[in-house]
Parts: sequence; C-alpha cells; structure tokens
Amino acid sequence: MNKKAAVGSAIAILLLILPLFLSQINDLWMHVVIMIGVFSILSMGLNVIIGYAGQFALGHAAFYGIGAYAAALLMLHLDISFWLALPAAAMIAGLFGFLLATPVIRLRGDYLGIVTLGFGEIVRLIFVNWVDVTRGPMGLPGVPAPSLFGYTFTGKTEFYYLILVLVVITYLVVNRIVHSGIGLSMLATREDETLAASIGIRPNKFKLLAFTVGAFFAGIAGAFWASYISYVSPDAFKYLDSVNILAMVILGGSASLPGSILGAAILVAGPELLRYVNEYRMLLLGLAIVLMMIFKPAGFWGEKHRKINFYGSGARKGDVK
Amino acid sequence: MLLQQLINGLSIGMIYALIALGYTMVYGILKIVNFAHGDIYMMGSFFGLFFMKELHMPLYLAFIFSAVSAAILGMIIERTAYRPLRKADRIVPLISALGVSTFLISLAQLLWGTEMHPFPTAFGSKTYAVGSVTFSEIQILIFILSFVLMFGLHLFVTRTKVGTALRATSMNLTNAALMGINTNRMISLTFGLGSALAAVAGILVGIYYNAVYPNMGYMAGINAFTAAVLGGIGSIPGAMLGGVLLGLVETLAGAYISTQYKGVISFSILIIVLLIRPSGILGKKDINKV
Amino acid sequence: MKRTIGSIALSALLAGAVAGCAAGGGGTQGGSESIRIGLAAPISGTQAQYGESFKNGAQLAAAQINEAGGIEGKNVEIIIHDDKGDSNEAVNVANKLASDRSILAVVGHFNSSATLATAPVYNKNKIVQISPSSSAPAVTDAGEYTFRVITTDAFQADYLADWSAELGYKKVALIYEQSDFGLGLLDVYQESAKKHNIEIVGAEAYNPGDKEFSIILTKLKEQQPEAIFIGGFYNEAALIAQQAERLNLKADFIGVDSLYSEALLSLGGESVNGLKLIGFFYPGGDNEKATAFAEEYQAAYNSKPDTYAAYAYVATAVVLEAIKEKGADRESIKTYLETLEGFEGPTGVISFDENGDVLTVPSRLTIQDGEFQLYQ
Repeated sequence: MNKKAAVGSAIAILLLILPLFLSQINDLWMHVVIMIGVFSILSMGLNVIIGYAGQFALGHAAFYGIGAYAAALLMLHLDISFWLALPAAAMIAGLFGFLLATPVIRLRGDYLGIVTLGFGEIVRLIFVNWVDVTRGPMGLPGVPAPSLFGYTFTGKTEFYYLILVLVVITYLVVNRIVHSGIGLSMLATREDETLAASIGIRPNKFKLLAFTVGAFFAGIAGAFWASYISYVSPDAFKYLDSVNILAMVILGGSASLPGSILGAAILVAGPELLRYVNEYRMLLLGLAIVLMMIFKPAGFWGEKHRKINFYGSGARKGDVK
Repeated sequence: MLLQQLINGLSIGMIYALIALGYTMVYGILKIVNFAHGDIYMMGSFFGLFFMKELHMPLYLAFIFSAVSAAILGMIIERTAYRPLRKADRIVPLISALGVSTFLISLAQLLWGTEMHPFPTAFGSKTYAVGSVTFSEIQILIFILSFVLMFGLHLFVTRTKVGTALRATSMNLTNAALMGINTNRMISLTFGLGSALAAVAGILVGIYYNAVYPNMGYMAGINAFTAAVLGGIGSIPGAMLGGVLLGLVETLAGAYISTQYKGVISFSILIIVLLIRPSGILGKKDINKV
Repeated sequence: MKRTIGSIALSALLAGAVAGCAAGGGGTQGGSESIRIGLAAPISGTQAQYGESFKNGAQLAAAQINEAGGIEGKNVEIIIHDDKGDSNEAVNVANKLASDRSILAVVGHFNSSATLATAPVYNKNKIVQISPSSSAPAVTDAGEYTFRVITTDAFQADYLADWSAELGYKKVALIYEQSDFGLGLLDVYQESAKKHNIEIVGAEAYNPGDKEFSIILTKLKEQQPEAIFIGGFYNEAALIAQQAERLNLKADFIGVDSLYSEALLSLGGESVNGLKLIGFFYPGGDNEKATAFAEEYQAAYNSKPDTYAAYAYVATAVVLEAIKEKGADRESIKTYLETLEGFEGPTGVISFDENGDVLTVPSRLTIQDGEFQLYQ
C-alpha cells in the first residue's frame, strides 16, 4: 500500500470515529465540525465557479438560501421527506443558478461581480419581503429533521454522519467534473476566452455549467442546513456570507478542492478559536485577504503550477503588447 | 406630490453622482472596480464628524480637511493594496478590494462603534416652502456644491495640462508612460481626487440624514457604481448623468411602485443596462482586442 | 524575498491569534468558584448598540449582587457571547453556552428571530433562556425553558391602539420595520384600530438600516394622517421625525417602548418633541426601582439607560433571584421562574404566565423640551 492510500485510510477512519470523541467533550465542537462540512460543500461549489471557470461571482449565499427555503417549504407545506426534499432543493437551486447566470454570462470580471452581488441582494430582498411565502423576517420555524427507516435524527451525531456523506459525495462528484474534459474546458475558458473559442470550446456553455454546478451544491448545503437548524430566516444569506464563502475559496486555494475544505475549516473554526479577539476578527480577515492576494494569491493549498502564472504573466486585455 | 418626489430624487441623485465620479475615474484609468470606494465615502463622513465634533471646526473647513484626509487614505490604499497587484490576474485586485472594504468597515466600527452618530450642525434644517413643495437648506447646498465640484472636475480634466495627462493615462497606460507621463503619479492623483469627492458626498449625506455609521458605504457604493455604469463608466459627464437619473428613477419607483423593492429596482436597472448597452449612455464602446 | 516576508507575516498573524486564544482559554476555567450566567447579545454588527445596553444592564445586576457579598459567598460572572444579531451565529452561541455545564442560565437573545432559532437548543439542553427584548408572538410557544421579560408586540400594539382612540385620532398611518418586530406591531395595531373605528390611511415598510424616508413620508403626506405610528427602533424613528419636519408633514408620532432611548433625543433633536410612546421603563415616575436603577446606571456607565438596558437588568436580576432562593442549578431556576409572581423591578411588577410570558402595565410617556416625561 503506498503512502497516499495509507494516509487516506487513516483520515477516513479518524473522520468516522470523530463523533465518539467530540460528543463526550463538547456539543459545540460537534456543531463546529458539522458547520465546517456545510461550508466545505458551499466552498467547493463556489470554487468551481471562481477557481476553475474563473468567474468572479459574489452572490453565492443566494443559492444557499434558495436551497434552504426550497427544502423547508417542501417539507413544511407538502410533507415531503427530507431525502426527496434534498435533491429537489438542489435541483431548484441549480436551476436558479442557470437562470440567473444566463443573461449575464457575457459580462467580464468586475461587471459580473457587481451583477452577481446584485442578484444576491435581490434574492435576499425577496426572502425578506415576500411574506406570504417565506414569512419574511419571521422565518420558517419547525423544519423537520430527516428520518431513516422510522428513526428520526435527534442528536448531532446523526447529522454529522449525514454531512460527512454529503461532503464525500460532493468531493467525488466535483472532482470527477473538474478532472475531466469539462474541467479542462473550464480552465481553458478561465485563461483566455477568445483563445478557447478559437479552438472550439464554447466559453458560455462552460461558464453556465460552472454556475449551475456551483448553485446545485449550494442547494444541497442549504437543504441540509434547514433541517439541521430547523429554522430558516433571511439573515443567514447576506452579502457578508457570500464574502465569507469567497474568502474560504481564496484562503484555501482556488481551483483546489482540498483547498476549499481547508478554507472552510479555517473560517469556521477560526472564529470559534478566536472568540477572544472577536472585536478584531473582521479587521484581521480584511487584512488577511489583502495580504493573501499580494503574497499568496493561489491560497494555502492552491494549484501548485499556478503560483508561477500569477506573477507577471499578465497581458491584460486592452494593453498594447 | 410628484414635484416633491422629483426634488427628493434629485438630491439623492446628486450625491450618487459625486460618489460615482470616484468609481468612474478609477475604472477609466485602471480598469478595475474599486470595491472599497463606498467605504472611503464612509470614512470621509466620519472624518468630517471628527473634525467638527472633536476639533470644533466650522463646516467649510471640515469639508476641506476631510477631503484631503480621504484623498490621502485613498492614495495609501492604492499604493498598498492595488499597486503590487497590477500585473496579476484581473480577479486578484478585485478580491484585494473586498479585503480593503472589510478592513475599513471593521476599523470604523472599532474606532467609532456601530451606532448612528448625529452630525453636529444646525445647518440645513431650515426649509423653504414654494407652493406644495418644500426645499431644505441642505438640499440646496447639495445641489450647488455637487454641481460646482463636478463642473470644476470637468474643467480640470479637459483644460489643464495635468488633466490632459490624466486622460492620456486612462486611454492607454503604456503609451502615456512612453510619452513621459509619470503614470504612477497620475494613478495616485485619480484615487486622490475620487476619494476627496466621496468625502464631500459623505459629509453632505451626514448632514442630510443626520446619521453617520460604518455600514453606510455598502448601499451607497453599489448605487453609485450603478450610476457610473448607467451613465457610461469611464466618462465623467456620464457619472453625473447616471447619478441624477438613478436618483430620480429610484425615487419615482419607490413612490409609485413600492419602497421595499427599491433595491431590486436599482439592481435590475444595472443588469438591464449591462446587458443592452454595457457602455452606458455616454460611454464609448469598448473594443476587445484579441 | 517578498514571498518569504509574506509567509512570515501570515504565520505570525495566525500564530498570534492561536496564542491569543490559548491564553484567553485559560481564563474561562473559573469553574465552580463563581456563579456563571451567559449573556447572548449582538455585541458587534448592526445592532451592537442594543447589545451594549444588554451588557451594561446585566453586568450592573451582577455587580450589585457581588457588592452585597455575592450569592453564598460566590461571585456572579456574566459570560458574554456575541451573536451579531444573526440567527446563525446565535445558534452557534447557543450551542456553546448550552454545552458549557458551568453556565446556569442564559439572558438573551435580542432579536426575536435569534431567540426563536436558538430556543430548540436551549430547550433540548434544559437550560433557561430569558430574553429581555424578543417580543414576537411566536416566542410564547417557543418552549418551556424560554422566558421573556418584555410583553409581546400584540400587547403593546393593542394598548397603543386604545390610547390612540383616547387621544382622538381618526386617521393614522404606519411606518414599520420589515422585520418580525415591525410586522407584528402592524398586524395587531391594524386589528385593534378597526375596533376603535380608526382609519389606517397608509402603511409603509422600511428595511432596518434604511435612512431614506422622504419618499415614504411624501407618499403618506398625501393622505393627511393625524398620527403616524412608528413600528421600529429609535434610530430610524429619529430620522423619520426629522425628515417629516423637513417636508412640513404635520402629524403626531406615536410608538412603543422600542423608541425609549437617549439616542432618540440626540439624533432627533427638535423634531421628536411631542412624540408619544408607551414604556415600561421610566425613571422619574412612580417606580422607585426605575429611578434607583437609572441613578446607578448613570454612576456606573456615565450615560442614561434605555429600555433594553433596563430589561436586561431585570432578566438578570430575576435569574439571580432564582439562584438565591433555589440554588445554583439549571432545573431549579426554571421551576422558580415558572411560578414567579410579583417581582418588583425597574420595568414594573413582573409575573410569568404559563408560557413564560410576562404580565405588566405600561406608562404613557411623551417627549417635551428634549426629555422624556410622563404624559399628563
């Protein structure tokens, strides 16, 4: 057995028995670990959009929210079981990803950023103001927990295993996508759209695909979260949350799935550990983002070969060469 | 009511225009959207508050000192967070700007707390009624000051040597350097000017709403950017036009359709403009070189 | 070279942070030498000022007990956690507090949505959650362990509607916050107003944090309301009053206790004179406890307390009372509160009903000469 497989199995076993330790110590850490799971899924999804397809998308929390609300509404009003609501919510979120991206896919970096930010805000405003459906700021309480063969999830341990499974599935699926021809096409689109088009890759198709995939997985995370917290309200899906997820992708490493998980771990566990310097937390985060961009734009666990390209490769469009 | 709403809209619009100028100038020269610009506007407002409350300066001095302080802040930010990234991938300075924005907001929160601070001046509360319409003193100040500043900027950029150098740099960075223009200095100047104008807007808003607080830059920034895009990003008269138009449209939509969905309307305008005519009303078509 | 400096800088930042928390972590091992009460409030974020009031109120209650020798010789410690006014973060905080066995009860949260989101956590862990400010009707059914020292929006809006009728208003407009709080007030006031034959000539919502009200006010001015009910908090209320004055909109302003704060006076200035509100906390009236509380608060913090500081103080005091009477144990605090009646405090005399809701009677206040006064 080679080293990589050995390390891999060790990690797997550790992850499987983790709850047994944690639930003895402190329920809080179980919660933190579960949240890391949720944000890993969000971060991996966003990474597909930003890291692989190179699209500067700022409103990711909106898809997370759509997934959460969709799942909650399906479970509360139509009595659908969690196991059906989850994929349904994911597909709804993915659909929205596709619909929202379609009109704006032609836009360049900075414009796209503002527009996606705009969409994020519009979706949030709808959550807050469409009181008939979403109950606005009062939120949707009482979202049921999943039940398997008659047993309803009650403690954190069950949710932990569920999120573990979801994270693994997300990782495997996204990994397959980005290491396939689709992934390569996305990377090509990221590097230079015109050039990619000239060799037969339709950039819009792959950018749309990236948004749809990213939104789909955000929907999964949202549905899980709705059931776990059992209460959905618009404050979980603000602009700042989108920035947070973006920061996870950046810190962890763009175009790198392990990086996304790392980024999620840092930004979810970090504030818990750093509760003592809480006042300075956002300050440090802002500073960290700027420093990362200057010194380590590929993130802590980013693509190794990209480190070279980030410095001085750059003929930007419009420059005279 | 229509006339009154138009006046409301015009006041808001002029403020958007002042902030939009900063966005449009920076975009014109560096082709990046300075996400932190809205927060410089916020800092400018706080500077004004500080100068008036702690140092007891009269209003006109506060305007000047604030503008200068904001200009310095803007230039420092450019130097530390954007200049090192000029050769990097386009997405990199954008993210850096996000970081700067987060940093500025938390800094303001630490220094001044998150509550709303009233602006210590009695100026602006007098009102004049003309028929069924009321103007307040502060609205008149906004109109006059914004107009003067924008006109002044326009003259500066078109009639002076430095202004011409500025325009040259925004047309083509490399060529301008070849012509002997110190492009780094031009870029700093751009940031400085934009930030100074934002600070003035910040103080005007501080007086108008009697509220200064750290998160005020967020929506104002987005709206101003929308205004800049609407009018034609990179074009100074465009920013002015865009600002006024956006202010009017937003107000009328709020008055006749719905106030809560006001934000939705602004964003929708942005999206529609970007889709149909990305160069905006007065902008030039951007040729995408291969 | 650049990269090395960068990596060093980043590692230093992270190391410093970890070290900071490790050092800080040592401090919380106070253990059973003190009585630990959790406080969950928005210490940072857009509602930090309310969190500040909570903190001050709660800490004052603790300080007073400590000065008198503590409870059976043990010092009372308020453990503060920041929920940022965000229901997600609130759940994090709830998990943390509930799983820390040394925390006996939690005073919090501020927003009704945070209280609702966290109620399942506290109830599951059988630890009392007592909110100083969550007034949404839904909190009534949130759980056995969920209490609050503020009356529901339903009660306040209803009372205000009765008072509106007494004041002779026939046409009232509403400007309310698009949140659980504002919407709750809107619904109940509209219902009650109907019973008194008061016509609601307009109702406009705003998002919390909005500053621009001229559009709404110009719209409402057309309807010529006699009074405008501001269903929101003092920041926005001050702005509304000011902008109304600028537009020459002559209407009375009325509101509930969320408006009671010095900030309303300092932000609103002249334009809030004549505003009428109902309040449960009014120092300088008949309630000696309120006056005493205001004096002590002023001495401790050099500023005047607002409603939320008073509520937080009462919530904490009630919990401490439970501990004094029944001992330092989570379950006994809950059983004590369930049967508590006639507790006298700065916000009036408090009794809990079977749902953990409170029953008390408000005062009628108004603003004259830049100060809050009893309405005569």
